[in-house]
Amino acid sequence: MTFAETIASARTQNRTLLSEVEAKAALGDAGVPVTATTLAQTREEAAAQAEAMGYPVALKVVSPNVAHKSDVGGVVLGLESHEEVAQAYDEIIRSVQAAQPSAAIEGVSVQEMAAPGVEVIVGVATDPQFGPVMMFGLGGIMVEVLGDVAFRLAPLGEGDARDMIDEIQGRQVLDGVRGQPPVDIGAIEAMLDRVSVFAAEHPEVAELDLNPVIASPEGAIAVDARIVLAEA
Amino acid sequence: MSVPGHPLDRMFNPKTVAIIGDKGPNYMWLRNNQPFKDRGGNLYSVQIDEKEIPGIEELGVENFRALTDIPEPVDYALVAVPRHVSPYVMKDLIEAKVGGAAFFTSGFAETGEELGVSLQAQLTEMAREANFNVVGPNCMGLYLPRVGVRFNPDVPVADDGRVGFVSQSGTHSIMFSLVMGANGMHLSRCASFGNAIVLDISDYLEYLTEDPETDVIAMYVEGVKDGPRFVQALRAATARKPVVVWKGGQTDAGARATMSHTGSLASPHAVWQGIMRQCGAISTNSLDETVDAVKVLLDAKPSTGKRMALMAMTGGQSVSITDAFVGQGFEVGRLSEGSYEELSSFFNIIGGSFQNPLDMAGTVQGKRETLERILGILDADESVDALVMEQSAMFGARQWKDHPERVEDLVDTLASHIERSAKPFLMVMHPAHEEAFVAEVRLKFAERRIPVFASFERAAAAAARALPQGTRS
Repeated sequence: MTFAETIASARTQNRTLLSEVEAKAALGDAGVPVTATTLAQTREEAAAQAEAMGYPVALKVVSPNVAHKSDVGGVVLGLESHEEVAQAYDEIIRSVQAAQPSAAIEGVSVQEMAAPGVEVIVGVATDPQFGPVMMFGLGGIMVEVLGDVAFRLAPLGEGDARDMIDEIQGRQVLDGVRGQPPVDIGAIEAMLDRVSVFAAEHPEVAELDLNPVIASPEGAIAVDARIVLAEA
Repeated sequence: MSVPGHPLDRMFNPKTVAIIGDKGPNYMWLRNNQPFKDRGGNLYSVQIDEKEIPGIEELGVENFRALTDIPEPVDYALVAVPRHVSPYVMKDLIEAKVGGAAFFTSGFAETGEELGVSLQAQLTEMAREANFNVVGPNCMGLYLPRVGVRFNPDVPVADDGRVGFVSQSGTHSIMFSLVMGANGMHLSRCASFGNAIVLDISDYLEYLTEDPETDVIAMYVEGVKDGPRFVQALRAATARKPVVVWKGGQTDAGARATMSHTGSLASPHAVWQGIMRQCGAISTNSLDETVDAVKVLLDAKPSTGKRMALMAMTGGQSVSITDAFVGQGFEVGRLSEGSYEELSSFFNIIGGSFQNPLDMAGTVQGKRETLERILGILDADESVDALVMEQSAMFGARQWKDHPERVEDLVDTLASHIERSAKPFLMVMHPAHEEAFVAEVRLKFAERRIPVFASFERAAAAAARALPQGTRS
């Protein structure tokens, strides 16, 4: 499905929030590294997709009504076999139904697990005066509590991505602290650049979160993605 | 000098100015603009009220009953008529092919009431259709210190202004002009643009970018109507000269409805700061920060280095100056071994120190050669990027009052050092208990282009903002 078709389908269903599977497909097509993610609608499908992907995998509920998947028991990480995957599938369906009975569940996504690294956030928001803006920050507490983030207009120009990365207070974390190796800054820059082009080319995208992106010495990969469309 | 062919060039370089609708008893606008007449400009009044005319003529200004009666082309008009008359005035301005007009008249869309909104819409339509340059309405108009066009009776007339200022607020444009003057700095051109129904911030910015008389641009802005155009104009401006943007209305009122982390974090303030950095503009949050940044831009040589040599007169001040500069991300490190060797040959370490910061009152003791020697050593030191010297009025004022020649001598020493040196030099002179005296003394430093700041914190903040873009060669 092209991104235009995804948008059209969301519009016909009267929703502005794209599913994680839809968001990752669109970003993957735009050259943004995302973890392999497929949609399973039965426990058997989930197990077969996991076998094909290789272990470990993560399972996450896919529902247009669930905003925070882990709050409703919709996420299980680190699954190592097809038995575990099948069992986790059932568990997710059960706990989401229990926690949010009104939620429409489309299925469960089966996802490749990213290697460990530093969590960062890459995002897009739309400023009413200036249009799409890019955001970069360190993940978790640095973003949520301290608001340690940098903004620039999309698309980014030469050197902008690097300036955003250098601007945040927690910049040193990316160089490796407590014996951690430095992460691949160039990979984060490339991701920011590509997402910024994607945002500039698609004014329908009102908000976008890649949270977290796992940055490591080997690169940067988005393990979760959220796209919110502007009201039609 | 001007920008030939630019649509705003006539109003920014007027030879003939008309004041429309000024009234007694004060005749504020005619009085503000007396210097324009004194400097050889043709100043005319337009007033139909018979009882106002004698007062106007007493000021030596020729009055006409209609704008279209003025025998010369009018380059700039200041309109101060009641709002309901403004459409008739607009018709005449257009017919007389005036170069541009500022409407001091207010009571338009800013009132939110129906009549004001509809009058503004009428003026806008008339002006746009005729492609006529309107400054404002609801503004103080232009301030052109070289030709003597003014928006206030106290702002200086000066031939050496190099700073262009554009302001959404009339008050801030006057305050900035006055405070700049009190710091010995002058404006090249200034526009207070109010409701900006035709000419908007980007139009003025584009003119100042081209203007050969403007070396530094500063502006006060609360919000912009056309974001992408502003970004384009700002980028073009910063490619040519330093631009300081003072943003008013920094607090983010109200929550925004968002469905993402990014959306909730993208406050207008955070986004604005990011855009300013991306455009290469210097961001400020207040009048003082703006004046300080401009001072660095005008009078400091550029440096991207962070290694400061700090000179203070006493121990306590040595600590405070260091705190201020380190707090702004500067380094106050060791000088080179060669410098220490030389300093140790004459520095009085009883009650002093020369580690960096230098605590040097006991060594200098008002001796010019000693101060020159220290400045020379720091200038030659390869581990120093910039010099900052403290001279508090706490001790200085009494001495300088008793021996005015010592001020002249210090000014000359520092000015000569700056001329020789390629490194930025900043001076901090806290007024202490002598505000009024220091205000006078500060101008003597400013005349020789020694940038003086009122506190360590203000000097350090201005340096952090503006030192890399210093324009002094």
